[in-house]
Amino acid sequence: MSNSSEDLSIIDRFKNSDEAVFEKLILKYQDRIYNLCRHMLGNAHDAEDAAQDTFVKAYRNLTKFKPESSLYTWLYRIAVNTCLDYKKRPLFASLFRKSDEGDELIREHSSSWPSPERLYESKQIGLALHGGIRKLSPKLRTVIILKEIEGLSYEGIADILEVSIGTVKSRIARARDDLKVLLKDFTEQK
Amino acid sequence: MNCSKTHKLISAYIDGELKAINIKAFESHIKSCRACSIAVEEVRNQHNFFALAEEFKAPYGFSTRVMANIASKKAKGFSWTPLFTRFAEVIVMLVMIFTGIISGSFLSDRLANEKKALIMSSFYLDIFDPTPPDSLGGVYLAMAEVKNEK
Repeated sequence: MSNSSEDLSIIDRFKNSDEAVFEKLILKYQDRIYNLCRHMLGNAHDAEDAAQDTFVKAYRNLTKFKPESSLYTWLYRIAVNTCLDYKKRPLFASLFRKSDEGDELIREHSSSWPSPERLYESKQIGLALHGGIRKLSPKLRTVIILKEIEGLSYEGIADILEVSIGTVKSRIARARDDLKVLLKDFTEQK
Repeated sequence: MNCSKTHKLISAYIDGELKAINIKAFESHIKSCRACSIAVEEVRNQHNFFALAEEFKAPYGFSTRVMANIASKKAKGFSWTPLFTRFAEVIVMLVMIFTGIISGSFLSDRLANEKKALIMSSFYLDIFDPTPPDSLGGVYLAMAEVKNEK
């Protein structure tokens, strides 16, 4: 995946000490990075923290970024690693967090409101999927989110995770097998 | 293509990642094999579930908060807080173990000097009063004694 001219311009200006241009990069990628973190971590607080950390890390390292690499892949790699670190966070850090499953459902849809039925169905599916995804191992959880939620190709996922396409293929197949068992009750109700 | 190979290729088929040379053989097999055809449908249904899943957008003011976060981190420089948070559990555990060792050693020294005799005396049974012969305990002991003599 190559960088767009807009990305290249942002990187170039940033490297020439125009640090304020970084906000453009955030605005361009914030939804995708936040969505990834939200699905990886399962709650809004951690997702926002992880997404913020992703951009802070990107800010610190953007001067070292090689324009021939894909900015999108690079950001995703930082986000995935940040989320995996969040999962390993010590108990101490999570003691002061409260669970808020889905509390931002309403405020995140400021435009193009779906119908109540569609919203309810989407919510139910989202909860069931989150429940299933959360029980997967971190490796399987990561590949299935990158494939099914982010819609990335096997090659793109392999680049982000720095593994072979064969590994991606087998992890996705295993994740689906595990999810089939985990979502059995929900799919039978449908 | 057999069922085992077909099963391994289902995910790649659903994701459109199956190589052209395998597609024909794969499709031909699932047409003739009901079990594999059902397995393909299950993966397809799961894939469709994900398509219905909610897409989250970054909360309002996210970019502003990130920029403020960056500015505050730049102003503060390196902070020990994240490091402390990461290792807090280990630090607390070490402090507790160290406190336990110190207080244990302090108490055992004092006990050795002042209360050792008291503790040792508590192990002897003669601190108890003799059981009155008419009590239930006394009767039981008498019966046990008779049994032992036999």
